[in-house]
Amino acid sequence: MSSAGAIIKTENLAEPRLSLADLQQFVEHEVDLLDDQRFEEWLALFAEDGVYWVPAKPGQQSPLNHVSLFYDDKPTLKLRVQRLRHPAIHSQVPRSRTIRLVSNFKLETHAADPALYRVISKFIMLEDRPGAARRLFGGRYTHLLRRTSGGLEIVLKQVDLTNCDQSFPSMTQPF
Amino acid sequence: MASYDNDYLRNLVRDDRVHRSIYTDPEIFELEMEKIFSRVWMYVGHESQIPKPGDFYCTSIARQPIVMTRDQNGGVNVLFNRCGHRGARVLNEQSGNARTLTCMYHGWSFKLNGDLAGVPMRRDFDELTLAASQSGMAKLPRSESYRGFVFASLDASVPPLLEYLDEARRGIDELVDRSPQGEIELWAGCHRYEYSGNWKLQFENLADMYHPPACHASTVGPDGRQFSRRPGNRGGSAPFFAANGEAIVAQTGVRGLRNGHSSEASLFREEQSGGIWDDYRTLMVKRYGEQRTTDILRNRRHSMSIFPSVDILIAQTSVRVIRPIGVDRTEVEVFPVRLVGAPEEISIDVVRFVNITHAAASFIQSDDLEAFERCQQGLASHGTDWVLVARGFGHEIDEGNGVLFGDRSSEVGQRSQHYAWRDLISAA
Repeated sequence: MSSAGAIIKTENLAEPRLSLADLQQFVEHEVDLLDDQRFEEWLALFAEDGVYWVPAKPGQQSPLNHVSLFYDDKPTLKLRVQRLRHPAIHSQVPRSRTIRLVSNFKLETHAADPALYRVISKFIMLEDRPGAARRLFGGRYTHLLRRTSGGLEIVLKQVDLTNCDQSFPSMTQPF
Repeated sequence: MASYDNDYLRNLVRDDRVHRSIYTDPEIFELEMEKIFSRVWMYVGHESQIPKPGDFYCTSIARQPIVMTRDQNGGVNVLFNRCGHRGARVLNEQSGNARTLTCMYHGWSFKLNGDLAGVPMRRDFDELTLAASQSGMAKLPRSESYRGFVFASLDASVPPLLEYLDEARRGIDELVDRSPQGEIELWAGCHRYEYSGNWKLQFENLADMYHPPACHASTVGPDGRQFSRRPGNRGGSAPFFAANGEAIVAQTGVRGLRNGHSSEASLFREEQSGGIWDDYRTLMVKRYGEQRTTDILRNRRHSMSIFPSVDILIAQTSVRVIRPIGVDRTEVEVFPVRLVGAPEEISIDVVRFVNITHAAASFIQSDDLEAFERCQQGLASHGTDWVLVARGFGHEIDEGNGVLFGDRSSEVGQRSQHYAWRDLISAA
């Protein structure tokens, strides 16, 4: 992907193109849902063909020929949310609390399909769980968003962690 | 070093219980490194991780840095990752390819078989000193491989590898035979997770069919089925509960083997089938014939754990390596396996399913990691000194060749591990 900066094209669309500010607002809303543990609403943001992907290797090109920390299609993501809500999810007794800061937004248009937007940002996530050591994660978000009549939906949320290839204690929270 | 004598150590393991200090005592952990991890065959890696001359793969045994290399003659070497000059760790990347292995400190270089290759300003050294084998990167006292699985030992006097593997070699056979070419590859990297707990907590869990109904309760959906753990139109997902309300997994049997190895019977009843799995079966029949194919694909075992370092996951087509870091710190790696000659989609599906069962973020492993850490915390209590491994004790069936079978999630596998541990730790 190229570093295109904030390119906004308005041609060939009945509606004006979304601005970077619109997209930024969407991403901030998306991570707020995770911080607030509103997992069902978070899940609903994903397209039916949407994917949540956290590679396990820097620069990993494909989720198919190398392991990933998360590689969830929508049915798998549904299971994940179902499990996060299960009363017997022991790794969430007590529950984690998270806070995410998102910054340095960039927009890349997807030339082939004017309804697609690629938004890149940087994030830091703090996770605290009583009795466990504080955890700090950071990296880059890539959101591939599709504009539909019902609003934006997530086609891909890719999370490139700076420490993706290291060993991890149990992880329960999507980034 | 020990302030514990061998009788004391031997008594830490009783028939149906073990003393909590074997999980928590740093001095016992040091003894394990010396008397267990340095005296038996330890899994190093798989030959497919170093396919070409010059390839190397770094790992550790008993906390000592080692490297597995492929030399110019195609031979596999297991070396200490240590410069023969001043002792610096030579290779600092996990894996790669090199013509020679060069130390960053003074520039000594080594052949892939460990022999000293180059010394800057060589004439200022005595040639006899340089000629001594210790000036190279030393080989581990023993290394052998079985069907591509490379093992090494820090003890020159260990019996041959196959003697140590004993009945556990079947686990390797049953995995490798699932390739239509009788060959596997570790091709897709590995999951790497860690926990604040003793290594035995993970090892015992490999033979534990009793825990899923409680520990993994959150993986069972409202329909009473666990999420699909492996692909295929049939033979992937399985109902979780039997008609009498017990979890099917906990009705499953376990085997304890000689030398601390253990094996769980398969969770699955049906052969995987449908779509690509039918193509795969055709390839298998072409190679092995109908009868042998049916036998290979029979859901015989879930996994085979080879004490104390590696677990061969047959049903889930992967390899898990257990690495103690400290008395209360353990790192584990899980490598998806490619069955060479099988349709590519099967290998891709294995990668995808291992993500949701064995990643640090997976549905299964995150529960187990929570259990290991809670055990380590609970074992700090002096409430009682004993930890029970009593399930099914006295009801094992002797199947011969040192194999004891216990049905209904017997703790016979854990007992086999602890008895082997006891014999090693209390040896002279």
